[in-house]
Amino acid sequence: MIQFYYAYQPIIDFFLLSVGFGYSQQIALRAGVFSIATAGFAALGSYCVAILATKTGVPIFLTVILGTALAAAVGGLLALPLARLRGAFQAIATLAFVQIILSLLLYGEGFTGGALGIVGIPREVNTWILLIVVGLTMYVMWNIGRSGMGRVFNALRQEESVASSLGVNIGKYHIIAFIISGAVGGLFGGLQSLYTFQIEPHNYGFAFIVNVLTVVILGGRTTLLGPIMGALIMAILPEIARPLAEYRQAVNGVILILVITFLPNGVGDEIVFWFRRRKQARQQQHRASEKEARDAVS
Amino acid sequence: MPSLKLENVAKHFGGLKAVDKVSMEVPPGEITGLIGPNGAGKSTVVNMISGVLALTEGDITVDGVSVATDRADIVARKGVARTFQNIRLLPEATVLDNVMIGFHRREEAGVLAQMLGLPAARRDTKRFEEKAWDLLRRFRMEDFAEYEAGNLAYGHQRRVEMMRAIAAEPDIVLLDEPVAGMNDVESDELATIFRELADSGMGLLLIEHNVGFVTRLCKKVYVLDSGRMIASGDPEAVVRDPQVVAAYIGTSGH
Repeated sequence: MIQFYYAYQPIIDFFLLSVGFGYSQQIALRAGVFSIATAGFAALGSYCVAILATKTGVPIFLTVILGTALAAAVGGLLALPLARLRGAFQAIATLAFVQIILSLLLYGEGFTGGALGIVGIPREVNTWILLIVVGLTMYVMWNIGRSGMGRVFNALRQEESVASSLGVNIGKYHIIAFIISGAVGGLFGGLQSLYTFQIEPHNYGFAFIVNVLTVVILGGRTTLLGPIMGALIMAILPEIARPLAEYRQAVNGVILILVITFLPNGVGDEIVFWFRRRKQARQQQHRASEKEARDAVS
Repeated sequence: MPSLKLENVAKHFGGLKAVDKVSMEVPPGEITGLIGPNGAGKSTVVNMISGVLALTEGDITVDGVSVATDRADIVARKGVARTFQNIRLLPEATVLDNVMIGFHRREEAGVLAQMLGLPAARRDTKRFEEKAWDLLRRFRMEDFAEYEAGNLAYGHQRRVEMMRAIAAEPDIVLLDEPVAGMNDVESDELATIFRELADSGMGLLLIEHNVGFVTRLCKKVYVLDSGRMIASGDPEAVVRDPQVVAAYIGTSGH
């Protein structure tokens, strides 16, 4: 076990960070918000922590809290102009948000180190801390799924007009979804910067956006298991595909297309749905046999 | 219990007067009918009351307070619920979950309590689950609780819509063609439920083009044709009104 851990520790850590970013992306999609702003939130959290940790004496724990709060606040503000947009327009607007954040990081050299980024960030985060924070995030996501908020998010995703006919303030819940997405994105961005020693704007560019979207599309958009399965595939795939060397990207692409075609809900969601359907079938069978028994008696 | 009033309500789409100078009342504890041939403007009236469409003219009040410029969710929170003519369910969710969303405005737990899974949030969910099961039994849908709503038969989907609309115990319910596509046995079952709801004090507005069903159930009936109110009053008298007969020729065998 220990042997395994040391051999694969970087992959495990990468997996845990991907799960975290995955939840930031998932909570938006789950609420029917086509946001890809997670990269921007992660960059905000990451830079906030890196700047505070290298240039001030703020305790490390507090820098992460501040990074999370900053990304959450920006998420809430971002929701205001985006409340009227839907679908692809929302996606493009959030992409523009990420571009703005990245250019601020590139050109605010005095503060952010420009294209070279920030080096010498204390390495305070290890696998165990990541594991605990992922666990806490999952606990919150699980609670959301079982509460009124989860029901509202489901309704907004599937049929917005129904939600508003039942008294749901759509704008309010889009803001909540953006704030949660921002908080989770900023939190894991902060942890990432305390893990990698060095960050630069490039870390949160196009590759990041594609990765985090892939995690949720491969894994699933609605269940707790979704981002875990997505991140697991993303972490293991490069290892399996290593012998294919330069074809690795092509293999990634083919797998993505296969999953979208044959498991459109994502691997994690499909697993959960399968168990749910099996449970339903059993209950139906049980009721039918009960009814038969009753009829036989009478 | 408050009543719903429309005063000289109009909706114009450019030069088209979809609804023009319509006045009516939905009192508490009664079933009121709104009938008219296809394209008469019935659904436009429902959409204006529920805040989906803005009024061109006139006023709509609930308990004397204007709701004419309120957003749909605010109208709902003031106690006016509705169903949709073209059924709108959450197709991926189970029947039970579809009903559960109906309790939204009765939630007591705040957003943070829900995220942290505090007892207040669990109490909400538990309370709603019990009430949802009561509704399922009342509409004889308990065997379908775990089904995905999108897979149900048409008549059952309509029931899910109705359960969802009345879950939060609204004062006024707008039922947009609730028995369309149902057989006589099914619509009789629903008629019984509608009477019970009215007896409990709810005001029901029944939008239909099935004249027979409306005359059986309603105390008062309004007739729309081409956006104008052409008759109103006692159902037996209204259906004999020559104007109403003319409007319905060929569309009603009753």
